[in-house]
Amino acid sequence: MGDRIKILTGNAHRELASEISDDLNLALGKAHVGKFSNGETSVMISESIRDMDVYIIQPTCNPNVNDNLMELLIMADAIRRASAHRITAVIPCFGYARQDKKDKSRAPITGKLVANLIETAGIDRVITMDLHASQIQGFFNIPVDNLYAEPQIIKYIRKYIPGEKVIVSPDAGGVKRAKSISDKLDADLAIIHKERKKANEVSGMILVGDVKDKVALIVDDMADTCGTLVSACEMLISKGATKVYALVTHGVLSGDAIQKLNESSLTELVITNTIPHAEKAAKCPKIKTINIAHTLSEAIRRTHHGESISSLFSDTK
Amino acid sequence: MKTMESVRLISGSAHPQFAELLSKGMNIELSKCESKHFLNGETSVILGESVRSASVYIIQPTCSPNVNDNIMELLVLVDAVRRASSKHITAVIPFFGYGKQNKKEKSREPITGKLIANLIETSGVDRVISMDLEASQIQGFFNIPVDNLYAEPLIVKYIEKHYKHLGEKVVISPAVDGVKRAKLVSDKLNCDLAILDRQTKGDKEDMILVGDVSGKVAIIIGSIADTCETLALSAKILKSKGATNVFALVSHGELSGNAIETLNNSELEELVITNSIPQTEKSKQCPKLKIINVTPMFCEALKRIIHGESITAASSKFVIL
Repeated sequence: MGDRIKILTGNAHRELASEISDDLNLALGKAHVGKFSNGETSVMISESIRDMDVYIIQPTCNPNVNDNLMELLIMADAIRRASAHRITAVIPCFGYARQDKKDKSRAPITGKLVANLIETAGIDRVITMDLHASQIQGFFNIPVDNLYAEPQIIKYIRKYIPGEKVIVSPDAGGVKRAKSISDKLDADLAIIHKERKKANEVSGMILVGDVKDKVALIVDDMADTCGTLVSACEMLISKGATKVYALVTHGVLSGDAIQKLNESSLTELVITNTIPHAEKAAKCPKIKTINIAHTLSEAIRRTHHGESISSLFSDTK
Repeated sequence: MKTMESVRLISGSAHPQFAELLSKGMNIELSKCESKHFLNGETSVILGESVRSASVYIIQPTCSPNVNDNIMELLVLVDAVRRASSKHITAVIPFFGYGKQNKKEKSREPITGKLIANLIETSGVDRVISMDLEASQIQGFFNIPVDNLYAEPLIVKYIEKHYKHLGEKVVISPAVDGVKRAKLVSDKLNCDLAILDRQTKGDKEDMILVGDVSGKVAIIIGSIADTCETLALSAKILKSKGATNVFALVSHGELSGNAIETLNNSELEELVITNSIPQTEKSKQCPKLKIINVTPMFCEALKRIIHGESITAASSKFVIL
């Protein structure tokens, strides 16, 4: 495959972009993306992309969310003005996704704003993974392919985690995801929900379901400061779980997440490589990584050839 | 007649000093607003009081050192204000970041200034107030009204007030594309005009002086002082051509990279900039830096907008308070 397709990357996750282009047997396109001394983002595409189907690989995530987002938008502008046929933004981790509703009066819905900015920059379609809420697809007026890490997570569980299992959702919002996994693994389901007494202070967790003498697998879409995750783990241990694993799509790991993980009873935190985290993983032996580059490269191949994406996710048993 | 009671001033975190001065000048308190970053780097804003049915002015230069954060904060603030049922949103952008990126210099480049204009409209801004856009054509990048104010009258006043005793002057444009701006100043001051034309010979950059500066005070007029290397080189050449003093008056002081060191080591006597970009730390490191306060001009512009009056009529009456 080499006809009329070009993979370009910003600075957010060059490693993933290399793996994707290797998978597709393509060289990464030449693009200089940097910063002027005044902090403005600078972009130049160094080879012709005229009439090409262009894919920009760029998670809009930490540590420099706004820089990563701006790089994506400015690259799209340059690519559009260079007469590309179609521009697809491959955003493995969609920043601002949790800001998807007005949870206070006079709050923004920044997830929607970001969707608008992406369209305004001239992007024709988006490929992303495990959006925090599927409704975010509706924020866009352009096609959005929301891929799932679930098949890879299930493979990992079957291969590496023995014993009788119970799948745990750490909050009410993630029960659907947890149930989907527990069904496929033919395991029990449990739910932790919490009463928030103060803003951002987790207290009074309640467990629904039985974890006694079982391996508890917490599944979620995001591990950020990991406060909730660690509290959930301690509760599960106190309720008789023999071991606790966490399997999460996006390893944001901000703040003092690493310290919390290292000090917790969690056996393993399994994350995918939607966000670069080599430095953090080096400080925390509990972190294991699932490589989702192939899922993304397969989605790109199918998009380019006009094939179905959803069949990527059927038949996982 | 609109009432001032339905006007709200909101400051982003890029330049709170500017917003404070504007607030005092307008005699309107800044509305409560908290901008911060979540631990994962995402921008978060919370409006602390109602803006329902209000005309809201959001003050946020999109400038260094964190250009992309400042732009994003402006956009998020606008989204929050719009969803809080404001009536009208004006972005007050004393310095418009990415303004220099207003054309394709090479093939396969973006026109990021245009992209930023599109993003600002997409977020829900109804109008923009800016100052000394790098190119006036940037107004045409927007589909919404843009009031582009000019620091030039204040710069002329500064020269008349502070350099009066220094003798015969010549106004210098340090680049061919800034001649128009420099000519406006030289006409007002009734003095000569000269041009420094940048040229690259091999890997060495040089400048050629067109015009005469011998025995005169050279006054460089520019729009942005960034790394200041061009300014330093200009001053050196002007001195070597016989200028008695060299001053620079520039609208926006970005002063990035080694600018302060370059200035301190240069033959420039003074660099006068406006307060369109916060300068507190840098002005401490460089005694040559002088700052013109442009908030009175913005106050006057806001008052006229609020009352539906002309911005340009009698604009030369803008005075420094």
